[in-house]
Amino acid sequence: MAENNRAEGAFATGGTDGAEDAFAFLGKGGEIRRLIREFDWGSTPLGRVETWPGSLRTATALLLQSPVPIVMLWGEHGIMIYNDAYSGFAGKRHPQLLGSRVREGWAEIADFNDNVMRVGLSGGTLAYRDQELTLHRRGVPEQVWMNLDYSPVLDETGTPAGVIAIVVETTSEVLARQRIAREHERLLQLFAQAPTFMAMLRGENHVFELVNPNYQTLIGERDVIGKPVKEALPELADQGFGALLDQAYRSGEPISRWSERLILVRSKEAGPEERFVDFVYQPITADSGEVTHIFVQGSDVTERVIAEHRQRLLVNELNHRVKNTLASVQAITSQTLRGAMSLKEASDSINGRILALSRAHNMLTAQNWTGADLNEVLETALSTHDDPDRPQLDVSSPPLRLEPHAALSIALALHELAINAAKFGALSRAEGRVEIVCETTVVEDREIFRMTWREIGGPPVQTPQRRGFGSHLLERALPAELSGQVRIHHRPDGLVFELAAPLSAVREGVGLE
Amino acid sequence: MLVALLIEDFILQIGCEIAGMAMRLEPALDLARTIDIDVAILDINLAGKPSFPVAEMLRERGIPFVFASGYGVAGLEGSGISAPVLQKPFDVSDVRRLLAGVV
Repeated sequence: MAENNRAEGAFATGGTDGAEDAFAFLGKGGEIRRLIREFDWGSTPLGRVETWPGSLRTATALLLQSPVPIVMLWGEHGIMIYNDAYSGFAGKRHPQLLGSRVREGWAEIADFNDNVMRVGLSGGTLAYRDQELTLHRRGVPEQVWMNLDYSPVLDETGTPAGVIAIVVETTSEVLARQRIAREHERLLQLFAQAPTFMAMLRGENHVFELVNPNYQTLIGERDVIGKPVKEALPELADQGFGALLDQAYRSGEPISRWSERLILVRSKEAGPEERFVDFVYQPITADSGEVTHIFVQGSDVTERVIAEHRQRLLVNELNHRVKNTLASVQAITSQTLRGAMSLKEASDSINGRILALSRAHNMLTAQNWTGADLNEVLETALSTHDDPDRPQLDVSSPPLRLEPHAALSIALALHELAINAAKFGALSRAEGRVEIVCETTVVEDREIFRMTWREIGGPPVQTPQRRGFGSHLLERALPAELSGQVRIHHRPDGLVFELAAPLSAVREGVGLE
Repeated sequence: MLVALLIEDFILQIGCEIAGMAMRLEPALDLARTIDIDVAILDINLAGKPSFPVAEMLRERGIPFVFASGYGVAGLEGSGISAPVLQKPFDVSDVRRLLAGVV
């Protein structure tokens, strides 16, 4: 302001004494008025200010008074006269723009302005909202947006002599709107890509406004947008979720549920389907504090719930197996002790039997208790009773998968036969042999599994006086387990043990269902 | 199988006789249909199959029974059958007490 006053003052003192001020119509103050006074208008098609027509002077005076950026393009070349607000808008292009031809002043948008001049000088108006232009106001290309209003200025004869333009830059507003739009887009993407399911329900009837792909997956390919929950997902409304939504809507308090069971009917063709979900109903309030929406967000945790259930079953099953094993150990110890001649003998027998049971368990556990190969059962049960350097056992068996209970029973039976042979039979002598033959045959259309244990070269055999754990296991438990028969011949030249059982009771996966 | 031996032993100890033994569902059902007994002890799990059909058969014939199971009473869940359960491992006195309760 001070500077402006000085410029004014300088002019007043430097003015021509007594002469009329040709620029009086401009009014006072401001940089642009000084520049207009100093400009050599004689070098332009407008000519010296003294020669300007009234219409040009009036229009110039008018635009100089305005706080809004205004530029006037006068004559067919569009000579530019503008106000202080416009010079701010023009950046470094000011003050060279003043008095220049618009085509040259704004060379980068010459085509745009050619059209403006053509329309304006033929009496038309133009209006642009958020018109995007690239201007070089600061030496570099710059993208700007403007509201532009063009109207003709008439001369004394009523003919359009120039075009007046009101220029309002809207770049910051446009950028802000773009930013908001991008943020909105990002939120929608977040919504769409969220790993959880989401839906937005409007109003007291819970009308679906928005659902994300995960929500759509949960409910099946049903078209729910614009429909109230009761109509869109009737089966859920009936399972109490409608009442729960009402409660969240009325109270304004969020409601969460974990591992909630729901029955979905995803399509007319599909039957009811059980799913488990974690979810929250989050009421959304307007500025007034009133609830307008409920935001539904959650996860389908069916797999987790099934896994937890399976884990509980596994723990129960493990507990069952442990209890069964304890009972087995109980059976081994109590029955071994009952028939024992000495504590030492009993202790050795108990250890041997528990280890035989343990080896059989290891073998079955390695195959997840689905079954075991007969060869592996023989190997597991007999390896500790045979010396590879001095083999006494001659085993022959067909390839056969055994059902787990059969595998366990046969392994324990082989252990009993082997320890008996080691104590009293063929394995008590270096020259003794045992022939073990397993085979499957067909007798009267029934498939039979046979196992024969034949001892050769042992001491003369005597029929045992007492029947202990081993005899019970071989003669009672084993045939009962395999629905078969057992015969034990105490022949003088060696013990012979014969087992015959239906193949279906022995073979894996057959006869179980 | 070993548990069967133990039960057999306990039954003999309390002065009863063994009329029959089966470890698979089909032979057990055959026994339950035909055998003349005072009481039965059923393992819930017969080589992977529940013994509930055997229990049904015994109930129809009016023969009392108890269960033996590593699962305990939980092993009867969902079967619709109620009977005393010997939780493995068990003692001869448990067997005596439970059998006395049903016979």
